[in-house]
Amino acid sequence: MGYKVSFEEANKIFAKLQDEYEIWAPKRFVGRGRYSDTDMIKYDKVNTVEEIEYKEKSDFPAKEVLTPITESLFYFTEDEFIESKATKKKLLIFMRPCDIHAQHHQEKIYLSNGDFTDMYYKRMNEKVKIVMMECTTGWDTCFCVSMGTNKSEDYSMAVRFGEGELTLDVKDADFAPYFEGQASADFKPDYVKENELHVEIPEIPNKDVLLKLKSHPMWNEYNKRCISCGACTIACSTCTCFTTTDIVYNENGSVGERKRTSASCQIKGFTDMAGGMSFRNTAGERMRYKVLHKFHDYKARFKDYHMCVGCGRCIDRCPEYISIAATVDKMAKAIDEIVAEEK
Amino acid sequence: MNHDIDIKKVRINCYRQSKVAGEFMLQLRVPGALIDAKHLSMVQEICERWGNGTFHMGTRQTLNIPGIKYEYIDEVNKFIKGYIHDVDIEMCDVDMESNDAGYPTIGARNIISCIGNAHCIKGNINTYKLARKIERLVFPSHYHIKVAVAGCPNDCAKANFNDFGIMGVHKQVYDIDRCIGCGSCVEACEHHATGVLSLNANGKIDKDTCCCVGCGECSLICPTGAWSRGKQLYRVTLGGRTGKQNPRSGKLFLNWVTEDVVLGMFANWQKFSAWALDYKPEYLHGGHLIDRVGYKEFVKHIFEGVEFNPEAKMADDIYWAENEQRGNMHVMPLSQHKFAGPTEERGYSFAKK
Repeated sequence: MGYKVSFEEANKIFAKLQDEYEIWAPKRFVGRGRYSDTDMIKYDKVNTVEEIEYKEKSDFPAKEVLTPITESLFYFTEDEFIESKATKKKLLIFMRPCDIHAQHHQEKIYLSNGDFTDMYYKRMNEKVKIVMMECTTGWDTCFCVSMGTNKSEDYSMAVRFGEGELTLDVKDADFAPYFEGQASADFKPDYVKENELHVEIPEIPNKDVLLKLKSHPMWNEYNKRCISCGACTIACSTCTCFTTTDIVYNENGSVGERKRTSASCQIKGFTDMAGGMSFRNTAGERMRYKVLHKFHDYKARFKDYHMCVGCGRCIDRCPEYISIAATVDKMAKAIDEIVAEEK
Repeated sequence: MNHDIDIKKVRINCYRQSKVAGEFMLQLRVPGALIDAKHLSMVQEICERWGNGTFHMGTRQTLNIPGIKYEYIDEVNKFIKGYIHDVDIEMCDVDMESNDAGYPTIGARNIISCIGNAHCIKGNINTYKLARKIERLVFPSHYHIKVAVAGCPNDCAKANFNDFGIMGVHKQVYDIDRCIGCGSCVEACEHHATGVLSLNANGKIDKDTCCCVGCGECSLICPTGAWSRGKQLYRVTLGGRTGKQNPRSGKLFLNWVTEDVVLGMFANWQKFSAWALDYKPEYLHGGHLIDRVGYKEFVKHIFEGVEFNPEAKMADDIYWAENEQRGNMHVMPLSQHKFAGPTEERGYSFAKK
């Protein structure tokens, strides 16, 4: 069913929803951007429609709702441990189609990769209901059409933000009662049909080409350009890597808390192992690892789609203006070169 | 050529005497160093019509037009009426008349600014906007004062060598839950600033708050936004100067003060200067007035009626270290140097006669 509700009415619905749901959406934090007098847009709990930043792309992805950057897993004392509590309420998350696809990509890693189910992810994931924010134009760093993530049917409700009013497509029967008495409207969300940015993902024909690509000089460029800050992976809608830290409360180390924290393959030390070994010791190698993971390895393993959803947040957040789209183009040229040499 | 020119009077109009007899260099004010580019064609026209065809970038960021003959000054003053109106009266909201007489005084010097956060990724404040607000408080006045506004404590504007050096800072805010312990802020602070950050055993950041200069290097490098800029505040140095006698760098005077405190202070400058000079303006720079009056007495005057924000810190006293130019006993001819090591290994020598 479709509805049209004023912000005022929507806020009343929000208030009712909050008995059962936490409402999460992109929110603007004034003055908290990387540069002074710039803002940061990240996911946060909202109480009203006005708090939702729907006109601009968020700097940070929706994944932070399910997997916050720092999360307590359990608390331990001597021979016992207590699990941390997940939120009691269900989660109603406002997401764009790219973030919805990203969530599915993440589910694969957290819930079924290697037949292992991450219960901390599962317990959050089970609570999620999606409100899809209609996205019809995207921005100049988006390439969702190239990645096939411009459209999604997986939502409980879809919403179009208008001047002082919301138009909604309410598919999930759970939400129908909240809209009783509201004016109906004929509405199906539109989607992005073309981006300014097109990315042609190259096929890597065989393992030999892949190995040659790994040592191709194209990656050396990033030794100089990339500062290995990891901003791209934190902004990435699909990255899942984390590290765990035991925080011990006293000297004997038997009382404490295990936390997990987002980690980045782009930061030096990511691969440090006991005994002092580490891999991918240059920024170029780390970049290669990330790009191949997003545009080859993930698909090679799961046989469905590439990991990258084309949200372009890594491009937006890179302080050194490194574009993943341009990098993929360079990789395609390198592959052509390698293939031509082989013939 | 027979000249009868009151050079001091001309100087007050912002025309500087040239070594070429009868010629002067006009210095157009650019408070905050940012103006609409349209004014540049007007400057070019003056240079070509009345000047010698060259243009000089003023060391205090004035637009300098050399080679203006004395007899053209009245004409040029009429011509720059629009510029003074646009820049000082309109842009800076300075309380003065728009007329054909040129600049009314040279007293308060042009307020220097770096580009600030209007452009610079490291800038913490909009420098030109603050400079324009200060301009309104110190100009036009025959009391001399040199002010510079730097966007951050890196001080590319060399605020340290002004009577008052203003630098934009922030109290940085740390969101521990967004921190991934990558340590890039620790490295950035160590490399660019004062090294007040360290990574602790829990993979989070500890900060030695005593010595943070509020520059924002941590917020700039942080990949997650765990560090971000909090309250926009100012750091002010006092008593810096260049000069042949006693050049010196300014000393930290105020830290973590709000714009209200900074502007409150400048609002008292003319009153303080008048009192210090017994109400008779002299061609004497502001720092010397502070020296004459003494720091504690200066503070009483300059902060009259000013309310400090809770974070504010002020110097209890200041002990400037002067670089007295007559000293310099360590600078001497090579022939008088007492060298160590083998003579043949010395890489330099006087040219042979």
